[in-house]
Amino acid sequence: MDLFVTGMGAVASIGRSPGEIFDSLCAGRSGLAELRGFDRTRFRARNAYEIDDRPAPGADLPLRASRWLEQAVADALRDAGLPADLSGVPVLIGTTLRELRSVELSWRDGVPFDLGDLHFGTTLRRRFDAANTYTVANACSASLYALALGADLIELGAADTVVVAGVDTITESTYGLLDRCYPEAPDQVRPFDRGRRGMLQGEGAAAIVLSGRAGGRRHALLRGVAVNCDAYHPSAPDSASIARAIREAHARAGVRPRDIDLILLHGTGTPLNDEAEAEAVGDVFAGLPTVPYMTAIKSMTGHTAGASGLHSLVAAVSSLRSGVIPPVVGLTDPAEEAARLRLVRGGAAHAPLGVAQINSFGFGGLNAVAVVEKVA
Amino acid sequence: MTGLGTAVPGVAHPADLLEPGPPAGRDDPAARLTGRGMRYRDRATRLALCAGRDALAAAGLPAGPERAIDGAEIGVVTSTNLGNVDTVCETVTRIAEETYLGTSPMSLPATASNVVASWVAISYGLRGANLTLCNGPTSGLDAVHWARLLITAGRVRAVLVVGVEPVNPPVRHLAGDERALLDGAAALVVESAASARDRGVPALAAIGPYARKGSCPQAIAEVRHGLEAPIGLWCVPEHRMPIAPPGLDDAVTCDLSATLGGCSGALGVLQSVAAASWLGAGGTGMALTTAGAGEQADDDAAAALILSPVGR
Repeated sequence: MDLFVTGMGAVASIGRSPGEIFDSLCAGRSGLAELRGFDRTRFRARNAYEIDDRPAPGADLPLRASRWLEQAVADALRDAGLPADLSGVPVLIGTTLRELRSVELSWRDGVPFDLGDLHFGTTLRRRFDAANTYTVANACSASLYALALGADLIELGAADTVVVAGVDTITESTYGLLDRCYPEAPDQVRPFDRGRRGMLQGEGAAAIVLSGRAGGRRHALLRGVAVNCDAYHPSAPDSASIARAIREAHARAGVRPRDIDLILLHGTGTPLNDEAEAEAVGDVFAGLPTVPYMTAIKSMTGHTAGASGLHSLVAAVSSLRSGVIPPVVGLTDPAEEAARLRLVRGGAAHAPLGVAQINSFGFGGLNAVAVVEKVA
Repeated sequence: MTGLGTAVPGVAHPADLLEPGPPAGRDDPAARLTGRGMRYRDRATRLALCAGRDALAAAGLPAGPERAIDGAEIGVVTSTNLGNVDTVCETVTRIAEETYLGTSPMSLPATASNVVASWVAISYGLRGANLTLCNGPTSGLDAVHWARLLITAGRVRAVLVVGVEPVNPPVRHLAGDERALLDGAAALVVESAASARDRGVPALAAIGPYARKGSCPQAIAEVRHGLEAPIGLWCVPEHRMPIAPPGLDDAVTCDLSATLGGCSGALGVLQSVAAASWLGAGGTGMALTTAGAGEQADDDAAAALILSPVGR
C-alpha cells in the first residue's frame, strides 16, 4: 500500500512553519542564542536553541511543549485539508521529555501542574477531541519510531489516516546533566567538525498527516521505516546496529544504497554519535562511485530530541520538492570520520533529488531510519 | 501470552493478584536483584528487571545463548507514567542548591523516560523494536495492544511487556493526595499462537479486541461488539463507574487499584497478568480489562481489552 505525507506542520527556534524553518535552514540561519529559560548562574554552558516565547528571560512557564504540539498538529491538519477534529484518527506523539519541564517547575518552584498533562493525549483531547492517542517516550528517535507505528496501523488496515508528531522542550535536569558530562561546554552544535564539543538542546514540534487514501494533497511518499534497539549501552551508540537499521529501512523501502540521493543525518555533534553514525553510513554506502548528499540540521535547530526525527523528515520532504539541500552550519574543519561522508558545506547545494533517507537515534540504543520519495 | 511475572510487595505468584484483599507482607521485590550493576539503576528499572526476568523465564525465553527466539526478534514495550520523575526532580533540586556540578553524571540516561526499556533490553539481550508508552491511566493496556501490533506487523516474533511505577517523594507530590500507591511492576510475554505452538509452550490467554475511546462505556461497548461469550472476569478501572455496563453483573470483579493502591501506568499490565492467571486456571468466560475513565481531569481516555481462553 502507498502511504503519503499529506500535511505537515512544524515549529522550532528558527521558524513557526515548515516553510519558515526550511528557508532558515537553506540560508544557514541558526537558532543559537544565550540560554533564556533557566537561571544562567547555575550552569557553565551558555547557549541553547530555544523557542523565544517566554514572558521574560529566566521566567519559565509550564506546558510550552503542549502548545507547540497543538500548533504543529493544527497546521498539519489544515495543510492536509482536514478539519481540526481527531475523534476518529489515531495520533502518535514521539517525545523524550514529555512535559517533564512542567514537573520540574511544579516540584521545585510550586508552579501548578496537573498530572494529566504529563502525557499529550490530554491536550489533544481538549483541542481536537482525540481519544486514540499514544505518547511514545522513545528518547531522541521517538518521532521516527512513532512514524513506524503509524505506518503499521495503516498497513494493517486499522486506520486509513494517522497523525504522527514529535515534540520536546528543554528540561533543566537534562541541560544541567549534559553540562556535567562534557569535558568542555559546547558553544554550538557542530556535527562532524573536529572542534565539536557535544550537543546543545533545541526546542520544537513537528507533525505530519500520513494517509493511505487515494486523492488529495501529497507532499511525499513514505517508502518505509525500520526500527531496532542496540541492547548495548544506555547512552553510547553501536555502529553495527545502526547499519542494520539502515539496511532494514532500505529493504522495507525496496531501494538499494545507490537509489538514495540525500541523507538527513542524526548528526548531534557528539564524538560518540558522529563516529558511530559515520561508520554505519560509510559501511552501508561503501563502494558507490558517489555517495548521497548529506546534511545535519541540528547545526541550526539544536538537538530537538523527540521532535528531531520529524524535523529532519519535514526538511527532507522540502529538499525533495525544491532540489535545495541545507548546509551543515559550523562545519569548517571536518573530523576524520567525515571523509566517508558527502556533507553539504559553506552554503546550500542544488541538485535533482528523488529519494531521501532520514536517520534518528536515541538513548537506550534506539534506532529509527525512514525512506521518503518525491512525488510529482 | 506465554509468560507472566510480577514484582509487587506481598505477591509471590501472578495468581495472588486475584486475592480479594491487599497482599500481606511488605517484602521488597527489587531486593531479588543484586550486584554491582544495580548501583546506578533507578527504582523503576530495578522493579521492571525483576518482573521481566520472571516473565521471560516463565515463557521459556530466559536470557542466554540457547534462547529459542533470537534476541533480535524479541521486542520490549514498557508502560510507565512516573518511572523517572525521581531523577528529574532530584536533579533540579541539586542544580538549585549546588549548580550543575552537584549532579551525578550517571543519572543522565534516567532523565529520558525510556530508561526502563533501555535497561530491560540491555540486561536481557532484546534487540527488537523497543517502545516506551507514557500514556496516562490507560498506558498498560495500550502497551499490551502495541505488543500485539508489533508482532502482527512482522517487526518482531515476541515482545516482553512491562508495566512499572515506583513510589518516592516526587511521585507523591504529583499524585497530590495521600492515597495508597503501587510500588511495583508486572510483566508478560506476547507471541503469536504459531510461535508458541512451534516452541511447544502453553499459551495462557489470547489477546482479543482493544479500544481506546473517550469514555469507559464507549471502550467497553467497542470491544464487546459482536462477542457472544460472556464476560467471566472484569478488571475494573481505578475510578469505578457508578453504574456497571449491561452484561457485567455476573462477572467476578477484580479491583487492583483497591488492593494494591493506585497503579497508574502499571495497571493495565497488572490486570492482564491477573486475567491471564485467571484464564490459565480455568476461569469460565472471557476476561475484560479496563483502565482510565476518560471523564476525569487527569484522564483523557479509557481503554478496554478482551482476553480469552486458549484451546478450550
